[in-house]
Amino acid sequence: MNQFLQQLVNGLSIGSIYALMAVGYSLVYSIMNFSNFAHGSVIMLGAYFGFFALTLLGLPFALAFFVAASGTALFAVALERLAYKPLRDRKAPFLYFIITAMGASIFIDNSVIATIGPTPKTFPQASLPSFLRSGSVEIGSLNVGRVDIAMFVITAICLAALVLFIDKTKMGKAIQATAYNMKASALMGINPGFVIILVFAIGGALAGVAGVLYGMKYQVYPQMSSITMKSFIAAVFGGLGSLPGALLGSVLLALIETFVSGYVSTQLRDLFAFGILIAMLVIRPQGIMGKSMEDKA
Amino acid sequence: MSMLSVRDLHVSYGGIKALRGVSLDVEQGEIVTIIGANGAGKSTLLNTVSGFLKPVSGSVHFKGQAVGRNPTKIVKSGICHVPEGRLIFANLSVEDNLRLGAYLRNDRKEIAADFDRVWNLFPRLLERRKQLSGTLSGGEQQMLAMGRALMTDGDFVLLDEPSLGLAPLLVKTVFDIIVEFRGLGKTILLVEQNAFKALKVADRAYVLEQGRVVKEGKASDIASDPAVKAAYLGAKSEAGG
Repeated sequence: MNQFLQQLVNGLSIGSIYALMAVGYSLVYSIMNFSNFAHGSVIMLGAYFGFFALTLLGLPFALAFFVAASGTALFAVALERLAYKPLRDRKAPFLYFIITAMGASIFIDNSVIATIGPTPKTFPQASLPSFLRSGSVEIGSLNVGRVDIAMFVITAICLAALVLFIDKTKMGKAIQATAYNMKASALMGINPGFVIILVFAIGGALAGVAGVLYGMKYQVYPQMSSITMKSFIAAVFGGLGSLPGALLGSVLLALIETFVSGYVSTQLRDLFAFGILIAMLVIRPQGIMGKSMEDKA
Repeated sequence: MSMLSVRDLHVSYGGIKALRGVSLDVEQGEIVTIIGANGAGKSTLLNTVSGFLKPVSGSVHFKGQAVGRNPTKIVKSGICHVPEGRLIFANLSVEDNLRLGAYLRNDRKEIAADFDRVWNLFPRLLERRKQLSGTLSGGEQQMLAMGRALMTDGDFVLLDEPSLGLAPLLVKTVFDIIVEFRGLGKTILLVEQNAFKALKVADRAYVLEQGRVVKEGKASDIASDPAVKAAYLGAKSEAGG
């Protein structure tokens, strides 16, 4: 029972970080119908932004978070303007977007290797506030890492803010309307270009937060972006383009992963993760809560 | 000067010529209808007027200004397009759909007044205001699309096949509402497959064939034109529309 609860807590903590990354994939997909594979690189950049804001600039922790999130939001929007907008203007087929995204990802990752270097960096404990330093808290019979608690709490706050924004504000409704039908939303005077910038900025900001959290728990290194592939699986699993789907898929995937690690074998963990992706694509390609193909037509 | 002035418009879809030199005028306060067979270019014309298609040549001027391709500017200028197939936001509630109609407006009092106007015109929508609009019937969805158009506060309404696929009773409601729209000071450009009904409510009409205007004139004259009767009104006028 104890092990079960421990795995559950681990799963929720990892699931929350997957969710933070997955919503970035989902938001962009919901509007533009392509998987932005450069998103992982933006998350990696966020980790570096946060790391340097803390170590080089010596900023307070909260401010470093803010710098990382603003930096990645700006970067994601710049990427959209430079890489995707020219394709949109030419009405390029969606395959070109995916190829461009992959190219951008390779370019960003290797630029970091070339400039900052391939060596992993670890957040210095001294730069972190006390509630985030390594060590754990005993809750009943459970040992829960401080970083895990912080990850869960910060992620929950970010996601709650996102859900409120999408559901309650005019701009949020505009995003939903554009996701449903770009032509119809343009008829209301909603500029698709504006909505696209908005989703890249939101996805980018959350990517920054996710990158810093992930870097704090593990390390900061240029190939981090490949780890974020898991959050992409989560987004597909839950249903690309659906926000609740991304959240649900992330938590489910993380729980499956931690339980497989805990009860079966750590080595089989990824086998299960990718196995789920393949099974989902075969049985229900739109994911648990995704838009069906007819809806997008 | 006309409210809408279309001059020698040519529009192509990937090599296929959909419009071949269409000229058309709509004066303020008029209901003008465009009739024609499927593929004659009616929807293409509306989509070009509202900025979705780029003409190969020719011009579209609205209130003296060339119509560009920026949706925000187009809607602000007063053009309001109710597209074929309604294109309501099925993933949002009835009320949210209407609110999005008022997306560009900030005049809270006027928006509230327009909400009341929509609820009065369409009591069914008021009953279902919290319901997901995808669950509405076809007729209710058409009401919602027209209500949403009202919320944009545009003074020039483009209606693309508003009665398509509706039961006869609802078709009558749709045409009643078109007349109501005119009462609210809207100018209307109406594309309809139900030519009989369209010619009854319209002031003037254009007949479009294969991307060209082949006839234009007062709606009543067009309705009594033998060629038009044979081509577009034959079966429909006997069935009563």
